[in-house]
Amino acid sequence: MPATRPVLELVELQLPAASGELPSYKIYFALMPGEVALVDVRSREADASFADMCSGLVPFPRGAVRFLGHDWAQIPDYYAAALRGRIGRIFAAGGWIEFLDVATNVLLPQLHHTHEDEAVLRERATQLACAFGLPGLPLGHTDDLSALDLARCACVRAFLGKPDLLLFESPVQGRGLFVELLSPLLNAIAAARSEGTAVIWFTQSDMIWNDHSFPASHRFHLHDHGLVSARREQDAPAV
Amino acid sequence: MSAIVVQRALVLPQRVLASLGRATRRQVHFTLLLGALSLGLFREAARPHAWRRTVRGEFHRLLRESLGGGFATVLVTAALVGVALVNQTLYWLIQIGQENLIGSMLVNGLVRGIGPVLVGLILLGRSGMPMVAQLVGARAGGQVHAMEAQGLDPFLLLVLPRAFALAAASFTLTVIFIAVALVTGFIADTLLQSSTVTFGTFLGQMEKALVLADVVVFPIKASGIGHLIALTAGITALEGSRHATTAHLLPQTFVRGILVIITFNVVLSLVT
Repeated sequence: MPATRPVLELVELQLPAASGELPSYKIYFALMPGEVALVDVRSREADASFADMCSGLVPFPRGAVRFLGHDWAQIPDYYAAALRGRIGRIFAAGGWIEFLDVATNVLLPQLHHTHEDEAVLRERATQLACAFGLPGLPLGHTDDLSALDLARCACVRAFLGKPDLLLFESPVQGRGLFVELLSPLLNAIAAARSEGTAVIWFTQSDMIWNDHSFPASHRFHLHDHGLVSARREQDAPAV
Repeated sequence: MSAIVVQRALVLPQRVLASLGRATRRQVHFTLLLGALSLGLFREAARPHAWRRTVRGEFHRLLRESLGGGFATVLVTAALVGVALVNQTLYWLIQIGQENLIGSMLVNGLVRGIGPVLVGLILLGRSGMPMVAQLVGARAGGQVHAMEAQGLDPFLLLVLPRAFALAAASFTLTVIFIAVALVTGFIADTLLQSSTVTFGTFLGQMEKALVLADVVVFPIKASGIGHLIALTAGITALEGSRHATTAHLLPQTFVRGILVIITFNVVLSLVT
């Protein structure tokens, strides 16, 4: 992929007035490969809605959202579904299918979108799980795991397919703040950035937002006046 | 002026037709949805990309669950039906000297009638109800939305494998049900009445009573009932109001399921 083409582009995006948690102002935004956008949000619903919009799941009256150069509104459903397979996402609400075990949940998107051998995927998922502090890929159900271990599994699922875009809905925030997850997550982001993956990290945490060592290429506030740039860091240091 | 009068005169019949159409559609909404979903499912299943390994995996898992979950119940029910229905049929027909009617009576009663219906009811309870609970949980817990966000088609992953797994399970269990009912019925008759009819004659009578239409209609009926149970569960769980609870949707699925099983059975029985 040429580095000049944005991974994600929001062009004169006008959200419907009744979109609830999202601002009704026009939004301009472009995220290049390897860039990280840190977005300060006011609520969990707002980050989920914005992430949905970036994934082409929210219809809007004007403007365009382009992912890897494809306008979500212009492509057929099956193609959009395949493109969503190139997005790794950590859901604030978990997004775990309860009747499947955790390992199947983690592997499911890659098993669905790729032809890669399951054993290879399982091996890679196990390596990632170890990198995020798990003893291996959990085989039990979601009820058997602690919130922190589920957050670790969510990271494994998001990074597993070497995605082009990572959407993180407050990834280190559960009922508390998972501080022990921060370091391995930033390491994984650094590795992914070097391969051209772009990241949008939504946060409600002052600790993350005020951390100046956080490798953000862009910092935004998402509030009633739209997506407002807080500051721009050129050549942000990789962790 | 006259044009306005004509236009007004046309508005009334249009409104009457519209209100009739609305009421009719409301009444047959579920049936239309069931038909449309079933057609959509077959169209989708014919596409090679639909049967990805995730969908195949779900199909195998659900087939194991439905067969395993319903097997013991089917065996017990079939044995009871064998003793009650087959044994009694043999006993009374032999008593009145109408042994030649054994085949047609059992084919009509067991193969075309009670067999597929009872297996359908067992599957409705053992697989259809858990399916509704799973799908309602998946929808309410945002799991369906999360699947869409990951590019996973909920229709392909949740509905398609369930419909075909239940169809296969229903056919298999119906064949097992009929075989067990016939064997236990014959054994019960031999033990209780020391019957003069041999097992070979008994099976020969059954074979004679079967017509060509049975060969076509029986597999359609046996698998179609499972297929329709899955679709009924899927529609009720996924189409219902977002605030509808499992406690509300389970009885609704049960009633709809029973109506669908019986209606489908009656319609196909009329064909043969």
